Amino acid sequence: MIVDDRLIGSIESLLFMIGDEGLTSKQLAILTETNEVVINMAIEQMIEQFEQQKDRGITIKMYGEAFRLVTKAEFAEDVKKLLENPSQKALSQAALEVLAIIAYKQPVTRVEIDDIRGVKSDGALQTLVAKGFIMEKGRLEGTGRPILYGTTDLFMDRFGITSLQDLPPLIVEEQSVSEETDLFMTKFQEVFTNEEDGGGTTA
Amino acid sequence: MTYEVKLEAFEGPLDLLLHLINRLEIDIYDIPMAEITHQYLEHLYAMRVLQLDELSEYLVLAATLIEIKSKMLLPVHDGEVLDEENFEYEEDPRDELIARLIEYKKYKEAATNLKSSAEERSDYFTKNPEDLSQFGQVVMKQSDDALNVFDLIGAFQKMLDRKRLKAPLTASITKTEVSVGEKMDQIMSQLTQSGGRCEFEELFTSGDMSDLVVTFLSLLELMKRQDIIVKQHQNFDTLLIVFGEEGNLDDR
Repeated sequence: MIVDDRLIGSIESLLFMIGDEGLTSKQLAILTETNEVVINMAIEQMIEQFEQQKDRGITIKMYGEAFRLVTKAEFAEDVKKLLENPSQKALSQAALEVLAIIAYKQPVTRVEIDDIRGVKSDGALQTLVAKGFIMEKGRLEGTGRPILYGTTDLFMDRFGITSLQDLPPLIVEEQSVSEETDLFMTKFQEVFTNEEDGGGTTA
Repeated sequence: MTYEVKLEAFEGPLDLLLHLINRLEIDIYDIPMAEITHQYLEHLYAMRVLQLDELSEYLVLAATLIEIKSKMLLPVHDGEVLDEENFEYEEDPRDELIARLIEYKKYKEAATNLKSSAEERSDYFTKNPEDLSQFGQVVMKQSDDALNVFDLIGAFQKMLDRKRLKAPLTASITKTEVSVGEKMDQIMSQLTQSGGRCEFEELFTSGDMSDLVVTFLSLLELMKRQDIIVKQHQNFDTLLIVFGEEGNLDDR
């Protein structure tokens, strides 16, 4: 189905005005008096066009639930020329670790975070709350009713995450030594299958 | 001669243990307890000067390492009656530690991913919402949920970000601190320029309090060294400052 040109223009102008607040497909549907399915199709088509057209400097990105009009990454260096001091204060390693645990395990209590890290995380939690990356998502029904922490929309935006389901899966890198063991195992498996094959032909 | 060792910053005892495992190139699933405990304690010993708040947590893990090590030394007798809890431990005392290490490692890597994800995101620039108030009342965005204190924090953070972008560029100007030593040199050269003598007030030209104090201290120091001599002909007369040798000459 071809999306109406007028709708695309309408979405583009709305996203332009709203800036970094962004608009969800639900909000766009209300504003354009259509429905979310049409909006999602239109946006998909718009993104495709923006990406294809090399003479365009902007594209659409979805962070959290909201669509935002953004400048393309390939022009980041050009945009930065407008800035006097483009360096942003990065989060500390401790804060990043706490944030990662919350992002994957939410809702999660402070004690659970401390247990995983083997070290107290109060300071990092405070920083993250103050920066608006995490928030209280209720309390655990149990002794002391500890606070359950979860991530916010601002976190999704600043870390470029579309949805929590889209977070890359947690993987543990295999160490070189275990690779050796694995090598042995696959060899063993090969021998095993060969034997099986051999057994198959003789029989 | 002291030898200073710069230690890497660790995010806690598990981080330190992971670092040691990486450095020793050993299998995380088959940790040589004696070796790792020794290395860990050595690191702890080197870190004691840092007076880390978390030092107690490092010590807890040290105790755990020693406990595991000693458990592994104990012989397991067949037919010995063990309660269930102990039995699990007896299988391999390291299991629990390994599980913790792997769990921590997962999130440590996830943290690195988050960091690069944020860096990637920062290449896409957005702009502030347009100020439409000049055209009329702006429709408020509808929110289904009741707002709480965290929405407030979020809004405040956003406001701060925007304020920062809007704020005029500031430059901080710091005072150049003049040390007593520098001031002493200045006074001596001023004396030379004015022909070996000058009045006390001439030295206190700037109105800055710290400058006045430094000048006065320098004068006292110069007098102590007998580089200058301060003379006064009669009470309440202007103080006269002259070179030490010249003063001697005058006295003669």
